[in-house]
Amino acid sequence: MAFQLRYLWRALDFLIKAVVLIVFVFPFLWMISTSLQTLEETLNFPPTWIPAVPQWINFVEAMTAGPFLTYFKNSVIITVTIIVIQWAVMVPAAYAFAKYSFAGNKLFFSLVLLAFMIPGQVTFIPVYLMLADWGILNTLWPQIIPFMSNAFGIFLLRQFFMQIPQELIESAKLDNANEFKIIWKIMIPMSIPALATITLFSFVSHWNDYFWPLVMTDSTAVRPLTIGIAKLRETEGISNWHIIMAGNVVLVLPILVVYAFASKQIVKAFVYSGIK
Amino acid sequence: MKRKFTAITLSLVLMMFTVLMAACGGNSSNQSEQSSQQQNEQSSQQSSNTSSNNSSGSSGKVTVQFWHSLGGKNGEYLDKVLKAFNESQDKIEVVGTYQGSYAEAVTKLQQAVAANTAPDIAMLERAYVQMFAEADALEDLTPYFDKTPDLKVDDFVPGLMGHSKFNNKLVALPFNRSTPIMHVNKTLLDQLGLQVPKTWEDLKKVANALVVKENGEYKRYGLTMPYDTWYPMAMITQAGGKFFNDEGTSVGFDSEGVKMFQFLKDLQSTGALYYPPSQDSANIVRQMFINQKVGLLFESTGVIGSIATNTKDKFEYVTAFLPADQKHANPTGGANIAIMASSKNKDAAWEFIHWAMTNPKGSLQFILDSGYLPYTKQMVESKEIQDLWAKEPNRKVAYEQLQYAIDTNKHTAWPQVEQEFFSAIQAIMYDNKDIKSTLDTFKKETERILAESK
Repeated sequence: MAFQLRYLWRALDFLIKAVVLIVFVFPFLWMISTSLQTLEETLNFPPTWIPAVPQWINFVEAMTAGPFLTYFKNSVIITVTIIVIQWAVMVPAAYAFAKYSFAGNKLFFSLVLLAFMIPGQVTFIPVYLMLADWGILNTLWPQIIPFMSNAFGIFLLRQFFMQIPQELIESAKLDNANEFKIIWKIMIPMSIPALATITLFSFVSHWNDYFWPLVMTDSTAVRPLTIGIAKLRETEGISNWHIIMAGNVVLVLPILVVYAFASKQIVKAFVYSGIK
Repeated sequence: MKRKFTAITLSLVLMMFTVLMAACGGNSSNQSEQSSQQQNEQSSQQSSNTSSNNSSGSSGKVTVQFWHSLGGKNGEYLDKVLKAFNESQDKIEVVGTYQGSYAEAVTKLQQAVAANTAPDIAMLERAYVQMFAEADALEDLTPYFDKTPDLKVDDFVPGLMGHSKFNNKLVALPFNRSTPIMHVNKTLLDQLGLQVPKTWEDLKKVANALVVKENGEYKRYGLTMPYDTWYPMAMITQAGGKFFNDEGTSVGFDSEGVKMFQFLKDLQSTGALYYPPSQDSANIVRQMFINQKVGLLFESTGVIGSIATNTKDKFEYVTAFLPADQKHANPTGGANIAIMASSKNKDAAWEFIHWAMTNPKGSLQFILDSGYLPYTKQMVESKEIQDLWAKEPNRKVAYEQLQYAIDTNKHTAWPQVEQEFFSAIQAIMYDNKDIKSTLDTFKKETERILAESK
């Protein structure tokens, strides 16, 4: 009886995992399949699952439909800059919130949480007007400045820092370590899982961002990949889904690379802290 | 200790900033310059698409910013027009920038007007023209026509000028215009011995005759159309109503609305009408038509080209006027272009528009490539269009239907009313709500919105 029950559980476990896997992986597979089809195949019903002859030319067509090198360069600069600045702001801020008791600690932290709860759709018009006033609309800054501080990251990292024993910091201080050294040698290495998670989230959300760059930029020269790909869509008429999907594959690739790297780090860090 | 920590952090952040400033700044022009000047430089850089540091490249040229909503192939056709203009002379450089869909572009333009960063020329979906005109954001084009006597306001096809005038000002001109039309699978109709329907009565018969039902499941439907306000609006005018009354205080239809929706519901109940789900409806109905899951399709003239390409091996494809009830009537669609009142380069902007409207490499070429409707007498009479029509009669039908074009949804509050109309369509077509009471509610909401916007 017990054996049977365990067997049933296993089957159920497998089934649920399989369903979840299909739900998540299916759109990706369909995207890749569509990116290799001809227009005719994309329009067929029932849908074409596997293209007769893979159309690699779709990728060439997608990438030559606009200044994709510029788009790609902009996306990389924006995302990387945001992440670097966020680290520089987030780590000391979370450290201060977690390990120092100073007047206004709670107040400032609630302000951070408040910022975390305001969606960009509420603030974009005043921000746009302000940046237009500064005259920097035709630079990459409007896509970077509003994201320099990552409220969610500060929140998550603070919770993580709070779990690090005070004794560790005390003993480091006894060994004459300054604050910078404590952050660099103790706080950061011990928070890799949290940092990897935050970085991954931040990377994905800014790499994929469509709304903010669309409302903040007026010219092609400062636009990221997402807008370049959105432009592949027809305004009226039948959209070339095979070309659009080829663009999307290119858009998604860096995310997969970063994800593969970050997930390994997360697992590694968890295993490490588990042993300890 | 604390102070030291703060100092280190601060200097670190500052250092990073300096490095990044340099990195990002290299991609753009000198930030200390006047923003307008900077914009010009930026755009000329971008149009030549060369490397960054060459900011003084096109000295003396006036840059005209043109915001549009044309993506995909149509976007490429437009780029071709701009390139031809830029190469035709050396004083003006028109820079076209894609600003998202029609609705997204409207939002962008609204904020840009407020921030004083608006372009010189903007493409506006025709129903949004009134909104910007009322805010005095659009330039009156009438005086510009006096400077270029070879093009007259009367040269434009009247059916497409419905949204161009506001308070006796000419605020926009047609650019990429379309109209809903009936797309017909002629092969299918011939097989069943049916004629292309000309009236609602015919339409009912033909659509029902096209239905194929097997084991309680519809294998083929008669008619379909995208989930949009365009088609119900067309049918209200065909039944003799208007969308808004002439005073702009309420809807301009009563029994006509009930009749139209009842007609659609009757068709829907027998499979003669397939009404698609709201999400991605236009793509769904086009695919159904191409795959012969439906014999008749109400859709924009803008898709004639792509449907023809995708059906040429499958069946004979023709277009026809939307069937008439009391009369033939159809709204128009697509977008107009306007010169923004805030523009500093209005004469240059007009020079481009005038060139586009008159030069064979301008709008005429764009129309030939894209399938949008020709809109001046000269374009219609041109050899290029006449040749095209001889080869593709489907596109001639699209133009000829313009004689019945009537836009009855002209009001600055149209965007809000449209949302209410969508709700009414959903209630009736999806949730089988009572037609009369739904339309009564819609009428009340419309009157409220119109009263508030006065």
